[in-house]
Amino acid sequence: MAELTYREAVAAGIAQEMERDERVVFLGEDVAAAGGVFKATVGLLERFGPKRVRDTPISELAIIGAAMGAAMTGLRPIAEIMFSDFLAVCWDMIANEVAKARYMSAGQMTLPLVIRTANGSGARFGAQHSQSVENWAMSVPGLKVVAPSTPADVKGLLAAAVRDPDPVVFFEHKGLYATKGQVPDGEHVDRLGTAKVLREGGDVTVVALAAMVPRALEAAERLQREDGISATVIDVRSLVPLDTKTILAETVKTGRLYTVEENPRLCGWGAEIASIAAEECFYDLDGPIVRITTPHVPLPAADALEDGTVPSVARIVETIRRTAG
Amino acid sequence: MDVVMPQLGETVKEGTVTVWHKKVGERVEANELLFEVNTDKVETEVPAPVSGVLAAILVAEGGTVQVGTTLAVIEEDGKPRAAPARDAPLSPVVRRLLAENGLDASAVTGTGAGGRITRDDVLAHVERSKTGGKPQGDERLPLSKVRKRTAEQMALSWRTIPHVLQAVEVDFHAVDAARLPRALTYLPFVAFAVCRALPEFPALNASLDGDALVLHRRINLGIAVDLGGEGLIVPVVKDAGEKSLPELARAIHSVSEKARSGRLAPDDVTEATYTLSNSGRFGTLLTAPIINPPQVAILSTDAVTRKPVAQGETVAIHPVGVLAQSFDHRALDGAYSAAYLRKLKQILEERDWAADLGRGP
Amino acid sequence: MPTLTKDAAPPNTAATRLALFRSQTEIRLLEKRAYDLFLQNLVKGTSHLSLGQEAVAAGFAVAMRRDDYTFCTYRGHAHTLARGAPMVGILGELMGRTCGLMGGKGGSMHLTSVPHGAMGSYAIVGAHLPVAAGAAWSAQVRGSGQVAVCFFGDGATNIGAFHEALNFAVVWKLPVIFVCENNQYMEYTPIRSVTAVEHPAADRASAYGLERIVVDGNDADAVYGAAAAAIGKARGGGGPSLIEAMTYRYSGHSRADPGKYRPAGELEEWMKRDPIALYRARLLELGTPEGALREVEKAVQRAVDEATEAAKESPPSPLDVIERDVWADGGSSWRN
Repeated sequence: MAELTYREAVAAGIAQEMERDERVVFLGEDVAAAGGVFKATVGLLERFGPKRVRDTPISELAIIGAAMGAAMTGLRPIAEIMFSDFLAVCWDMIANEVAKARYMSAGQMTLPLVIRTANGSGARFGAQHSQSVENWAMSVPGLKVVAPSTPADVKGLLAAAVRDPDPVVFFEHKGLYATKGQVPDGEHVDRLGTAKVLREGGDVTVVALAAMVPRALEAAERLQREDGISATVIDVRSLVPLDTKTILAETVKTGRLYTVEENPRLCGWGAEIASIAAEECFYDLDGPIVRITTPHVPLPAADALEDGTVPSVARIVETIRRTAG
Repeated sequence: MDVVMPQLGETVKEGTVTVWHKKVGERVEANELLFEVNTDKVETEVPAPVSGVLAAILVAEGGTVQVGTTLAVIEEDGKPRAAPARDAPLSPVVRRLLAENGLDASAVTGTGAGGRITRDDVLAHVERSKTGGKPQGDERLPLSKVRKRTAEQMALSWRTIPHVLQAVEVDFHAVDAARLPRALTYLPFVAFAVCRALPEFPALNASLDGDALVLHRRINLGIAVDLGGEGLIVPVVKDAGEKSLPELARAIHSVSEKARSGRLAPDDVTEATYTLSNSGRFGTLLTAPIINPPQVAILSTDAVTRKPVAQGETVAIHPVGVLAQSFDHRALDGAYSAAYLRKLKQILEERDWAADLGRGP
Repeated sequence: MPTLTKDAAPPNTAATRLALFRSQTEIRLLEKRAYDLFLQNLVKGTSHLSLGQEAVAAGFAVAMRRDDYTFCTYRGHAHTLARGAPMVGILGELMGRTCGLMGGKGGSMHLTSVPHGAMGSYAIVGAHLPVAAGAAWSAQVRGSGQVAVCFFGDGATNIGAFHEALNFAVVWKLPVIFVCENNQYMEYTPIRSVTAVEHPAADRASAYGLERIVVDGNDADAVYGAAAAAIGKARGGGGPSLIEAMTYRYSGHSRADPGKYRPAGELEEWMKRDPIALYRARLLELGTPEGALREVEKAVQRAVDEATEAAKESPPSPLDVIERDVWADGGSSWRN
């Protein structure tokens, strides 16, 4: 085991896969010479050379298009879109082209590509550089969607994403880049489509993603200490494929389901999970399913405002405390 | 406002809710009787702390909880809460479990927020019902709280204390002369005699505490009272040694009455140093009583019957009864106990009882 | 007058010329059949035909290597066929049959035959230009010598992806040839009225440091010559080219459009320069026997007829393909 930061785990994951398979190539804005604006891809150009690690112009359509063209002709590209907000700039490529090529060609084309992007709030960058848009990707058939919360998961799930034969949109959380965690030595490959139960409790089940995971864990500690409410906390990790088995099993155990989502209110990823649970666990629910989300507003920039918008530990605690009876 | 389990005695740690006098949704006035609590066989009535509506009962009758636990919630006048809990809709899992078990919601106690029936409430109810099933033919009577407590104490005593029984036969002729005109029973006389004898035999008015014998200065006489099939209770007459015979008689009468009518306070049953067990009215010859630890002895008085006794060279008919003492052989020996008993006999047979009684009742 | 690059190399063998003739004829006859099937309501939805534009597709296809990549728009029957995709597969796809190239999953606008290098027909204007650049990048990384040829209409020159792809391809020196089939009209609007320059592709080449190339899109030899030169340059590591081929479409934008927005006489003028008629005449002039040409025409017609019957006999695509092939494992599951 070694302690890595979340950002170091990104570079380590890419390096692991580029080392293993010469078909893996990497492109994006400022990713090579500068090591990435978030310093998440430091050292890759030096290690793998300018043929396989390339800086691009500010051309999101071209970046994703090139990744798609390369993927359909034998390479395994990793493309970076600097801020997940910019997925909107190349959304045609992602949603109309990449997601659908295999289906429309009846399987003639395989697109083993990974789109990595920095998602989420906390850096005070304002509404166009702070969004959580993993729910956009979740809603398009043909895209796999991953959002890790720890350095170990970053490396392991990135490796799994690169090795997956289908398009994967890999949402790193910019607010977590500096966080640290233990990462297994040697080759580390995780599995897409698996959620992790991080904490077992008997009273409520809390499902969270990415930066909301550490907040949910902290809230669970406080609820135990202050209210004697014992919470199960699940890190979803993978929205598509979705580990519904684990999530539903843990929901049935407590009868109470909560989601903690950084997406704005409408159509956040938790809405889908809540809907599945309401349909498939209805007769095991001991109370309403409650979603704890960002309100349906663009994100404000000022630090106090941003912190007051996205679900905080205090808001998670207060919501569960108020409704868990 | 939360209604909590009160601290009913300095040494009391938990209590059992025995009766709710109000239903959820009923109005209750401040100081009106709300519920009853049993602590160590003593029943206490508890009034409501405020006026309002009983919004929720969180501990049902029969529930035993620690002091301080919330038992119920009163929605105070002027401080309204949300919809009354009992009417709260049943959750899907609760409805399913009720249906699967053939239960009605009214049968289940709700411990959720505001008294809501939770999934665990139904599951607990089902579990309790299972263990309460009757086998064919036999009738199963659950033991009362008091009997259970008595049983625990008896077993503990019998397990830990090496009991030795000694008895003397006492001629109550002198006692009769004093008691009959005043319609007293034998018990106060025996008690008075015990109080006169114990100071000469302090090891009997003592507690065994590990490897030490604690000699008590005060004589707190426990008077064992039979609760008519519901077990025994031993109210205590504190400082019995300082009471005159009439005072002692009144005190004994008082605690016995309180015991029988269930009006003892928790402090009424603590700190006894020596116990009298009066089986007289049952007509028995002799009883080997069980010591109440941490005491080291207990005296039983059985039936007093008219028998022929030798008086000089002639035969007279006198009231005769047996006093039997069980003592803890770890704390003292037979000779000591026997001497005490002889002293008791002597006091009972030779004391000037008229003087102890004085004039008047 | 359209200009050729100085490296342009017109075909100089009879075999090549016959191949060009054959390819154009196949496209013409297949597209006419597709039109008929549409009128018979056997082809549903929409179809974008290349009638009148055959020379561009044929000229490039004959000049390409078997393992080169073709990317085209929703007006892609011609290009897909020219790369060698089976007629029965194309007609079957148009009619939603099991024998269709994509089993009815993609339809007319998305004809794809990866084994023939036909890497998809794309329905979002301009989207495939960056994809073609990516395929070229892949060839560059792998050192395979393959090139990508990307066909698009005049309308695509005004969309963002066009500009991103051109710049990207030049900066990375990718082996991709961008071919603008300028048939003068976007859907219903003349291209001139919405474009800042006269030649929507060629007049932008200099913005990307590329040579201005305009060819007569109705002259298969001219197209072939320009294609060979550009492909040769790309394959040799010389980077991308942008070629504007002037042509005209006989039908409306799509089957649903009768093309009434064209000025009177314009269509007739262009039909005088029918590419196949032109080429037929030239071959005869160069000494190809009339009989040989007629043999080709008869054979192609036979092939089209056989393919039509075969496609008609193929059953409609079954419902169970609906949930297949979202993922590489052949399924579409998003949960466990």
